[in-house]
Parts: sequence; structure tokens; C-alpha cells
Amino acid sequence: MTLLAASRPFWPLFVHVLGTMTLFGAVLAAFATALARLPRATFASLLVALPAWVVALGAGHWLEHDEGLGGASPTWLQLGRNVLEPGVLVLLLALAAAWWWRSSGKAVAARATAALSGIYLLLLTVAMLAMSGKWS
Amino acid sequence: MSTAQWLLMLHVASAFCFVGGSVAAGILNGLALRAGRPSEAAALLRLIRRVLPLIFAGVAGTLVFGIWLWHEQGYSIGAAWIWVSLVLWAVANALGGLGGRLQEHARELAERLAAEGDAPSPELSAALRDPAGLWMSYGAGVATLAILVLMIWRPGS
Repeated sequence: MTLLAASRPFWPLFVHVLGTMTLFGAVLAAFATALARLPRATFASLLVALPAWVVALGAGHWLEHDEGLGGASPTWLQLGRNVLEPGVLVLLLALAAAWWWRSSGKAVAARATAALSGIYLLLLTVAMLAMSGKWS
Repeated sequence: MSTAQWLLMLHVASAFCFVGGSVAAGILNGLALRAGRPSEAAALLRLIRRVLPLIFAGVAGTLVFGIWLWHEQGYSIGAAWIWVSLVLWAVANALGGLGGRLQEHARELAERLAAEGDAPSPELSAALRDPAGLWMSYGAGVATLAILVLMIWRPGS
């Protein structure tokens, strides 16, 4: 076990990492429940993901501000921003599909929810690898 | 990428598997607590077993890549924050394992009740809300959170 980053502000980094880990876990739970055909549980898991996304995004901006990274755009930061900011559309679409599935019980809504949750989980994984490995 | 960057990436990826998998298990357990029928609770508790390989991979990876990084980065052998993290890692795993056993008992009960008519049962409700199991899970969560604090804060280094 070792450091996540050297000489970086504690609180924004801690809150950002905790928020993204919670987001990852909630989307993972949504993906698992969608594959198991449990619509109510999938919708509830995706609802947990939303506040986690807000925390991850807010702390990410706080961290960028404290580290003076506002104008910088290395690959790892750009990837992280893209997954967290426009990428939230995938999360919102998954939530909408889960709501549709929960209220209609349609198989197409179930498949859409599972696919969108899986895609968002994959995007989060790529962003996490890029940011922790500082891809250039 | 340097060796240290690779190791850090794998260490953080393992931490995401460990913590993210634990969050997913916590959500599934919380949903099982609120499930109306035993069959629904059983389905949710069965899913926790599907998430366990990810948690185990994260548990092993944080330790292996963490110790490797410790050597690679040249941290002192007496770095207290690392030793405390290792103790907390062991505590989190022990509590998580014990809590998991109690959850397994609740899952077996839910499966049995689902096969016997699937009627809501106070016995299942009590098993799912077993205070010992809940406290062990909360304890594992607090220990994991403390490790995250130490990894970012690194007091004394």
C-alpha cells in the first residue's frame, strides 16, 4: 500500500477519490442487478450513483482549482473530465431506462439499462486507470 | 510509463475493486433489508457472491502492489502510516469475512423461505438485521475509510 499522490491537498483529493469509488460501486451494483433482472434494485442503485457523481465532480473541480490545473489538459485529466462531465449523460440515460423498465417491465428497457450501466462502468474504469497512471 | 507509475495504477485499480466492490455489496445488502419477499432478498444476497471475486482481487492487489510500491518508492521500513494501514487492512478483511458469514446464513434462510411459499418472515428480517453482522460490516467500512485517509494523508512522510 502506498500514496495516491504526493504533496497534494488532502480534503479535495480524499473527497474526490471517495466520491468516484462510491460512484463505481453504485454503477457496479446497478449493472449486476440489471443482469439479474431486478428493476427496482437497479433503479435504486442508480439513484445512489447520482449524489456520488455530484460529490466526485465537485471535489474534482475543487482539486483542479487548488492545484492550478484549470488551464492544463494532459491526456489523463482530459479523459477524467470527459467521463465525469459529458459522460454523465450515459448515467442519466441508464437512470431513465431503469425508470422505464421499472414502470413498464419491458424487456427492451431491461437490455438498455444493462447496456448503459455496463458502458458507464467501462468508462469509469478507463478514467480511473488514466488518472491513476497519469497517461500522457 | 515508469515502473512506479504502473504499480501506482495497479494499486489504485485494486483499491477501486476493493472499495467499489464493498460499496456494491453494501448497496445490495441494504436493498435486501428492504426487500418485500424472501425470493427478492435471496436474489440480492446471491448477487453479493458474484461481486466477491472483484473484492478479493482488490484485497490481494492492494497488498501486493502496495508492498511492491513501498519498496520501489524507497519508503522507510519503519513508516508508521504504512504499518497502521496494514493492520487496518487485516482488521477490515477479518470483520468483512465474519460479517459475510452471517450474511451467508441470511441468504440460506431466504432461499429456504422462498422455496416454502415466499411469504415475508420475521425470522428473515431478524437475520438480515442481526446487530453483530451489521456492526462487523460497519467496522470493516470504517477501517477501509481509515486506510484511504492514511494513503492520501501519509502522516510523517
